[in-house]
Amino acid sequence: MTDTDDEVPRRTVTIPDRIELPRLLDFYDLQDADHTRIHEFYDRLREGSLSTTQCADCGELHFPPRVVCPECTSDDLEYVSLPHEGTLHAFSTVRGSPIGMDTPFGTGVVDLDGVDVQLSARIDGAEYDDLAIGDPVSLVITEIDGPTDQQRVFYRFEPQGDNE
Amino acid sequence: MVRNAAIVGGGHADWGKREATWKDLAQEAGKATFDDVDGLGPDDVEGLFVGAVQPERFAFQSHVAPLAAELLGVNASKMIARTELACASGQAALRYAWLAIAAGQLDVALVLGVEKMNLGDEYMGETQASMTNVLDREFDGVNGLNAPSFFSMYAQRHMHEYDTTREQLAQVSVKNKRHAANNPYAQFQQDVDVDDVLDSFPVAPPLCLLDCSGITDGAAGLLLVSEEKARELTDTAAYVTGSGQSCMASNSINNLPSMSAWPQATQAAEEAYEQAGIDDPVEELDVAEVHDCFSISEIIEYEDLGWVEKGEGGQFIEDGRSELDGDIAVNPRGGLLGCGHPLGATGVSQALEVYKQFTGEVESARQVPDSPETGLIHNLSGSGSVHSVMTLARDPQ
Repeated sequence: MTDTDDEVPRRTVTIPDRIELPRLLDFYDLQDADHTRIHEFYDRLREGSLSTTQCADCGELHFPPRVVCPECTSDDLEYVSLPHEGTLHAFSTVRGSPIGMDTPFGTGVVDLDGVDVQLSARIDGAEYDDLAIGDPVSLVITEIDGPTDQQRVFYRFEPQGDNE
Repeated sequence: MVRNAAIVGGGHADWGKREATWKDLAQEAGKATFDDVDGLGPDDVEGLFVGAVQPERFAFQSHVAPLAAELLGVNASKMIARTELACASGQAALRYAWLAIAAGQLDVALVLGVEKMNLGDEYMGETQASMTNVLDREFDGVNGLNAPSFFSMYAQRHMHEYDTTREQLAQVSVKNKRHAANNPYAQFQQDVDVDDVLDSFPVAPPLCLLDCSGITDGAAGLLLVSEEKARELTDTAAYVTGSGQSCMASNSINNLPSMSAWPQATQAAEEAYEQAGIDDPVEELDVAEVHDCFSISEIIEYEDLGWVEKGEGGQFIEDGRSELDGDIAVNPRGGLLGCGHPLGATGVSQALEVYKQFTGEVESARQVPDSPETGLIHNLSGSGSVHSVMTLARDPQ
């Protein structure tokens, strides 16, 4: 044992202050055929249509879209259009500020009209106090800007009548 | 071969915003556990089961079961694994330890739950982002569905369908925080009243801050042993008498059976009750530690664990039936609302509380009266998609 550590060499390692948003911290998936087998869902959404998969063998309607039917394990699935209107089943406000999301914003659960599909979605264009269970809402397509070169999209809903 | 298994002791790290790492917390809980049990040490542990949910995100560490084994000097000569079942990882760890002992594979298991969640206030966004990947991140998490916003919708639906009141929700927080005020390891050791809850910050309306459990650093451990070993060690143990789980193929919003009910909890409870020979849970259970991640959760659990008719959960708390001297003393530990919720540790801590209620080693202000002899623990996970229920008793019959 020595009294001091004068003779121990010292070096510096530098950690960068910033890094590009890592792939696994991006909330949105890469939506093309190179990355996901449900790219048709995103392709259709980009073209303006909300859709999902339905089993060609047993008829089960899925949401989210699948590549294997969870009801009968068939992989013979086809894309079908979903209604663009629905009603609010429940809703709240997100204030927890997950990184990459500007809070507060509305979120909710929507019962699509005429089909047995219930999905969660961000609810744009209204404050919590302005909404009620059962309010009619309709689809909004959001285009995702960055951080990839892909033209990515996702769906949200807003109270009907807001989209003039 | 099906053998009985029993909890014979355990301990906690202090819970809260800790100036400590995942590894520090694991060591504190391990020491507290071995300090609590005369006659068993690290060398006696044949199986190690570690409940931990997101060490990869919160501590940048995976393969945590052997890490914990090394830290605690545990050989784990027969079985070792980490369990990840989101907020129910702790009871999952206990359940696997029980199954291993019941199957005759080992006699002494250490069940440990550890979670480090507070990375500093400036990084709360990272913690919150990590919580959104518990549901299907691609279709639900992406919509900001972290726990408060999601469970707030359960509250909204329950109030809408059953006229449950905001005050009844608040009463759950008031009860559990009163118990936590007398629990030395709890994160929130302060009494609140109904107005405090209703006036607290509307984190995710209709839920307010004091309707929510905490973001908590914490750890808990317990030793689960075969009946033969238990009888060598102690006169008072907590035997596992039943254990059930149910998922109903649900995780995403579209596939949940309900947003105001948990039939999975009913299935899991019925399974556990049947194994334990419980016909009337309200009559036969003395103490219950149930998963009050939010005030609404406990109200739904009164109903779907089969204690009251659907929709009457609000009345159950209002009538005082879940107080220490009520029909079933619910969450004398202080619950997740009072103790905080270090995800992987909660289920372990719930089980340990029932054991400590049996032995009478808890603070007198939160001791369930008249020497409780039967208990239940309930852990839910994710969107409420999975429910885990275990029954415990001083007498294995």
